[in-house]
Amino acid sequence: MSKAMEGHASFQTDGRRASVVRHDVRAGFGMLTPAGIVILAVTIFPILYSVWMSFNNIQLTENGFQFTFNGIQNYVDVYSAPLFWHSVWFTVYYAIVTVAIELFLGLLIALAIQNVEKLKSVSVVVMLIPWSLITVISAEMWGYIYNGVYGVLNAILQGLGVIHSPVNWTGEPVTAVIALMAADIWKTTPFVVIILLSGLQMIPKDYYEAARIDGANGWQIFWNVTLPQLRGSIAIAGLFRILQAFGIFDLPFVLTQGGPGSATTSLAMLGEETLFTNLHFGLGAAVAVSTVILILGACLIFLSAFRGMVGEEAQ
Amino acid sequence: MKSKVKRWTSVALASSAAAALVVGCGQPNNTASQANTNGSASTAASSASTVSVAGVRIAKPTHLVNYKNASGTIVWAESFTTGPTASELVSAFEKKYPKIKVKLQVQPSNTDTNRADLTASISGGSSTPDVYMGDVIWPAQFAHNQLAAPLSDYLPTSFWTRFSNGLVAGATYNGKVYAAPLFADTAFLYYRKDLLAKYHLPVPKTWQQLQTEASYIVKHGGARYGFVWQGADYEGLTCDFDEYLADAGGSVLTNGKATLNTAAAKQALSFMRGLITSGVTPQSVDTFQEPQSENVFTQGNAVFLRNWSYAWSDSQNPQSSKVVGKVGVAPLPTFAGHGSSGYSTVGGWDLYLNPHTKNLAAALQFIDWMTSPQAQEILAANSEMPTIKAVADSPSLAKYSPVFALLPQVKFVSRPAQTPNYPAVSKAIYDNVNAALAGSVSVAQALKNANQQIQQALSGSGSGGL
Repeated sequence: MSKAMEGHASFQTDGRRASVVRHDVRAGFGMLTPAGIVILAVTIFPILYSVWMSFNNIQLTENGFQFTFNGIQNYVDVYSAPLFWHSVWFTVYYAIVTVAIELFLGLLIALAIQNVEKLKSVSVVVMLIPWSLITVISAEMWGYIYNGVYGVLNAILQGLGVIHSPVNWTGEPVTAVIALMAADIWKTTPFVVIILLSGLQMIPKDYYEAARIDGANGWQIFWNVTLPQLRGSIAIAGLFRILQAFGIFDLPFVLTQGGPGSATTSLAMLGEETLFTNLHFGLGAAVAVSTVILILGACLIFLSAFRGMVGEEAQ
Repeated sequence: MKSKVKRWTSVALASSAAAALVVGCGQPNNTASQANTNGSASTAASSASTVSVAGVRIAKPTHLVNYKNASGTIVWAESFTTGPTASELVSAFEKKYPKIKVKLQVQPSNTDTNRADLTASISGGSSTPDVYMGDVIWPAQFAHNQLAAPLSDYLPTSFWTRFSNGLVAGATYNGKVYAAPLFADTAFLYYRKDLLAKYHLPVPKTWQQLQTEASYIVKHGGARYGFVWQGADYEGLTCDFDEYLADAGGSVLTNGKATLNTAAAKQALSFMRGLITSGVTPQSVDTFQEPQSENVFTQGNAVFLRNWSYAWSDSQNPQSSKVVGKVGVAPLPTFAGHGSSGYSTVGGWDLYLNPHTKNLAAALQFIDWMTSPQAQEILAANSEMPTIKAVADSPSLAKYSPVFALLPQVKFVSRPAQTPNYPAVSKAIYDNVNAALAGSVSVAQALKNANQQIQQALSGSGSGGL
């Protein structure tokens, strides 16, 4: 028996446990490998490739893509275009307004239905319909609703006497933005509701009882128990929504085609158009990379601001 | 601390997922750069000798291919416009050339998605589709980016004489022809003949006359709206605008320079805006594409409609139209003093050859047959306007649709698509024209902006590439 074997034998019990752990760890890594490869292939590689593209002048030749390194020239070109800044501005205010309203509405709805036992499952299912509809389809649907000639929204509003002549919802810059936001809020608020609803259910009932025994009123309970306990859920819902809202593409692509003029052209639309319509790959990559940086920045700002707003003491 | 790390990781992961969504969806790959080997098409150096054919000077063929005995399988990417007609064409072709099999690949129905799809696969070096359908405005951009093979290198000069005038010129870039015209399309004025008869009004010959008549009929309760057309923020608006511009005697480009700061352009855009402010056209026309404008007309709510040739058969379909039998069709009007009829934008679809095709001969045979009388008759029977003289000029064509009978009267205007940066040029037009229609900028300002952006787009460098 060799020394190593002796050592192994003397720690037999622990050794077996260690080898089981080692085995588990190895199996764990083994199981992660396919997912890791997929993430590398579909996420990390495209990002790095896009970053590389954005520093090159790219021509399509008969031998495929030809890269010529041109430093930050693409970024200089992109950042000197008024259309780019217009898209940044539209994307930012669109995202901030829709996410803020969605979180607020989502919280209201979640609070309203959390204690309704009988119809909760039904209302959750009904609410999920907008969320589960493919955006292109709901965008087409909203196109019919907003249509200035035969749209049902004008018919209803005129019937109620709210407006006297039809409003050209998607044909004027201001109403087009509002129309887009309304369609987005309609579609994605249910998502926020579901997350907040599950967050509400995880708050221990004792907290409320304790608060009540201490004589807190409903408002105080909301501010001091519900909201701090819901912090994590709000953060998750907000984060996901910010990610999607800053990357908004399909809704304006179908509903307004970025118009009127370029009033509803989002950054993602601008990038797509530069890449696939105009075939300016370097410039398009610079727009895409800028979009990613903007999204990253927005998420960081949201999280730090959110922490400041609700306070650390809850944890 | 731990929660902080976790949070940062989650942000990083979530953001990278978003990044993948933004940039990863159509990631062009660079794998098959060796595609131009083993007998596939190659873009050969241009020949110094040129020849004049079909009204355009093109280079003589450099790699003439004899495709008479071709065999094998090719893939044809077919775009939405032909619908079931495509299968009919394929089976007729396979019957005539049993040695060649054609696989039909149906493309996405949205033109831009279709283009993105073709661009991604061909730029990636894919050898299929061998032949694809593409818009008539693509040749310059596709030729410049090596997405289409120069057909005139492989086909005899005599091949091009079969097409109607102007069509080959539209498919030519830098002296080579990059596409074979498959079917044409152009715009017409559709009108309610029952309403014109009721109010004793003639079919309008000028735009001013159309406006007066439309406004008269609307005022007397004949219809809700006078005239509907395509004013949304997309390529179709460039088509509409180009017609008014040509009628007013202007053009987008003159000698390669943007010329929209002219009196003609001002007359064209002011008239379009005036249609809206005078109430002849609903304000929401600035959100209308073809289906919306057609819908208003076929539901009986408008006197006049500007639309493409297919609108005729749609208006005669009792399932979707309330105006069956009440519709007349005429060439578009023009501005007073500018002739007897107006200009119509040339639209339609061409056949392109993938530069990486592995079966050049069979692909050429297919293109040859698709532009033969047999195939063009099939297209005509399905209301698509033929591109070859033998069919287009035949008197029997009118039996398929009354719009065909009008063709000799139509004056055509092409979009300024002879630049690889045409999409950006067109965007400069439709964005600014649309903004003027919406009333958010003045006509003069819109034209000034458009002119400047077109100039930037033509240079294709700097921010003009956006």
